[in-house]
Amino acid sequence: MTSLDIAPFANALVLGASIASIWLIAAIGLTIIYGTVGVINMAHGEFIMLGAYTSYALQSFLGLPFLLCLPASFAVVALVGLAIERGLIRYLYNRPLDTLLATWGVSLVLMQGVRLIFGSDPKYIAVPEIFQSNVEVGFASLSVFRLVVIGVTALVVAATAWLFYRTRFGMQVRAVMQNKEMAASFGINADRVYMTTFAIGAGLAGLAGSLFGVLAIVLPTMGTAYVVQAFLVVVVGGGTLLGSVAAAGLTGELQSVFAFLTNDTFARFLLYVLIVVFLRFRPRGLFAVAKARR
Amino acid sequence: MGVLEIRDLHKSFGGTKVINGFSLEVTELTLCCLVGPNGAGKTTTMDLITGRQKPTSGTITLRGDNITALSEHEIAQRGIGRKFQVPAVFRELSVRQNFEVAYSREVNPFRNMLRRRPPGFSAKLDEVVSLTGLKDRLDVEAGFLSHGETQWLEIGMVLMQNPAILLLDEPVAGMTEAEIEKTIVFLNRLKRTNTLIVVEHDMGFVRQIADVVTVMHMGAFLAHGKLSEIEADPRVREVYLGEPEV
Amino acid sequence: MTTKQNLYHSKPAQWAVYGLFFAAIALIPVFVTDGFLLNQFAVYGIYGMLALSISLCWGFGGILNLGQGIAFGLAAYGMAMTMQMQSQDPDSNPIPPFMLNNSLEHLPWFWQPFWSTGGGILLALVVPTLFYVVFGTLMFRARVSGPFFAIMSLAMLSAFATLILDMQPYTNGANGISPPAPLSLFGTDLDPYGTTAYWIVCGGLVAVTVGAKLLTQSKFGLVVQALRGDPERVRFLGYNVALYETCIYAISGFIAALAGCLWVMLIQYVSPAQLDTTFSIGMVIWAGIGGRLSLLGAILGAFLIQGGQSYLGDQFLATWLLMLGAFFIVVVRFLPKGLAGLLEMILGSIARQPAKHARPEPAGLPAAGE
Repeated sequence: MTSLDIAPFANALVLGASIASIWLIAAIGLTIIYGTVGVINMAHGEFIMLGAYTSYALQSFLGLPFLLCLPASFAVVALVGLAIERGLIRYLYNRPLDTLLATWGVSLVLMQGVRLIFGSDPKYIAVPEIFQSNVEVGFASLSVFRLVVIGVTALVVAATAWLFYRTRFGMQVRAVMQNKEMAASFGINADRVYMTTFAIGAGLAGLAGSLFGVLAIVLPTMGTAYVVQAFLVVVVGGGTLLGSVAAAGLTGELQSVFAFLTNDTFARFLLYVLIVVFLRFRPRGLFAVAKARR
Repeated sequence: MGVLEIRDLHKSFGGTKVINGFSLEVTELTLCCLVGPNGAGKTTTMDLITGRQKPTSGTITLRGDNITALSEHEIAQRGIGRKFQVPAVFRELSVRQNFEVAYSREVNPFRNMLRRRPPGFSAKLDEVVSLTGLKDRLDVEAGFLSHGETQWLEIGMVLMQNPAILLLDEPVAGMTEAEIEKTIVFLNRLKRTNTLIVVEHDMGFVRQIADVVTVMHMGAFLAHGKLSEIEADPRVREVYLGEPEV
Repeated sequence: MTTKQNLYHSKPAQWAVYGLFFAAIALIPVFVTDGFLLNQFAVYGIYGMLALSISLCWGFGGILNLGQGIAFGLAAYGMAMTMQMQSQDPDSNPIPPFMLNNSLEHLPWFWQPFWSTGGGILLALVVPTLFYVVFGTLMFRARVSGPFFAIMSLAMLSAFATLILDMQPYTNGANGISPPAPLSLFGTDLDPYGTTAYWIVCGGLVAVTVGAKLLTQSKFGLVVQALRGDPERVRFLGYNVALYETCIYAISGFIAALAGCLWVMLIQYVSPAQLDTTFSIGMVIWAGIGGRLSLLGAILGAFLIQGGQSYLGDQFLATWLLMLGAFFIVVVRFLPKGLAGLLEMILGSIARQPAKHARPEPAGLPAAGE
């Protein structure tokens, strides 16, 4: 067991921030969907995967520069999400377990569909040279791209917060979240709110995917790893934006510190056990949504 | 000392104070009607008694035992049963199966794995079925019953449970005249063997069944006594009618 | 709509169908002599047991468990070690080769009890069940919602998979454990391709199915079905809902553990793939398509899907999985009770057909509504 040197420990903390940002941006689309619509979207990982493949395809076939692939992936996957919401999800809103299962079916279809179209071999997304180098941050050394991810995550969180707390649309969403019937009686079209929110959530997953496609290789199966992690952030956070930020930060740092003290795998196991125990005592998460009393 | 005692109950939801120092003593084998305007806290009081909510402060005692901190099933096992305002029955199960589940003499899961029909069940079922008039509907899925039949099913379930104390929340809501008459008869009969607390709005109904009436207002105790005393009480009139009696 | 007239719900009819099913699977070795095929059928029997365990937990109890692989996989590893240790000798050959390859000098303490065959099998069954009891208690007492529980079970599955994968010296990591010889019981080797092995699995399936059926027909089974619909009402009747949920969850886990042990007996191999997310969710798909509220339906669902998958082979795997996913979506959306539910509907509409020669109504029958 290594002694607690300051430098490697600080390194772990900085790495933890990077891990936290990855967890957060993976989870933010899911937070929005679960927090508003109450749907557990098992195809979330596949939305991430689609984002990666969209970036890959746009880059390889259209020669689109990487930075433009980010918003493009958002748009494409948002449209896919919209189609799925209209075609399937909206019929299952009062059946949460069935939504979970139906979206798992969707994930199977998406995964195999991509496999049939693109093949199972790994694809790679190219990024500008400057992103590939490392940079010193205090004691730690991080790749520039990881910093980019942190930056994009911060931007996305800020944009989402602005959307949900400063715009009229956001107010409608929050009204529907708290009390759907009452919001409807004020003329808010809950149906449209759900549809738009789902699409935005999907789009954010696509955006995350285009980033993850650089950090990891692009495979049809790449999404499955993110579903569980993203959900844990949402569950621990409680379904609110603030909750997810807090949960991602906490779990990212904890994972990094545990990994520093033991090893990567044991760290994950320990973290999951901790989450189970945490939920036992606080089942609604850190910052839960205030829903109307039935 | 009453069989059920509520002492200085307080309950707040976030910043809102819903129950404000409410106290009540219920005498055994009586029917106490809990009345009050909407929002007075009657259903919340029921929630607190049955353990669905926990009070911010105050105690609830059943035959001397403090039940305030117990969970719903522990309180139910000690003999408090509840009928909800919106009938809560098992919609996917048949009427007969609903009654079977409600017959909760034995709650231990392992003993229940080994038995099909507990002793005493058939006799009790016949009794309850004839009382509730659901004989022809025993094999119908509960979700297909009419509103009145569903009310009777839930009443029957509570009878199967046979708790010493029954809490009934607006038991005749949505019933026809004939059904209400039937309810009055059987509630009066029930008084001989069980203690009842009934939340109601219909004063005519209250007059026919209540031994004693408690009026709640703004989460607190307002008045208590026979219905005739309550009706003459000027404070009650002010709360209900908004003006003092001239 | 009464449930009495529908043949689907008639108890004697149900037991008759079950009896036919048991007879059919018992008779298979009479007609199938090829050992490989027999072994394959036995493996389907294992899948049937897994689907049944999901049906108990999810169909009857309303508890969606996406991590059944935890019980299956842990038990499989226990059984594999038991079989491995059977070919080890305490004096001349005390340590399995894979551990030696990973520079272990002594058998780790937690593998020591597996010297004993009985002890090993017992642990393989008890340890996963115990985990389910603990995990279930934690989750159900907190009244965590259905979807949350599902995700947590998936998370724990994923955690166990990574743990086993990473503990290379103790579990041989990604390579898995392959005991060199078949299971030896009471002095004789159990040929995985022989009829005895088949009948052990068959017997296991029959026993588990009968036990599960009786359980669902007991008072316990009724309370579990009630709490699926309205757990709060069940609480107010005096039942400790969390305890009932933990019980059904643990029983379903025990069945999965049994399946895991029998599986290794047949396949003589275990790897972290048994704790794969897709495999565990696959069990839910079998039960969902077959019919989550029907024990036999779930079993047949497993047979159907796994059989179809083997038949179509690897070349069409992607297309097969895509169609399976699409079909599953359709079932969830339109046929929540699966194919068994479809049968129930068909039998129900037959039951409602008027008789060909209607008997005249007896005079004096009061009009409906009295």
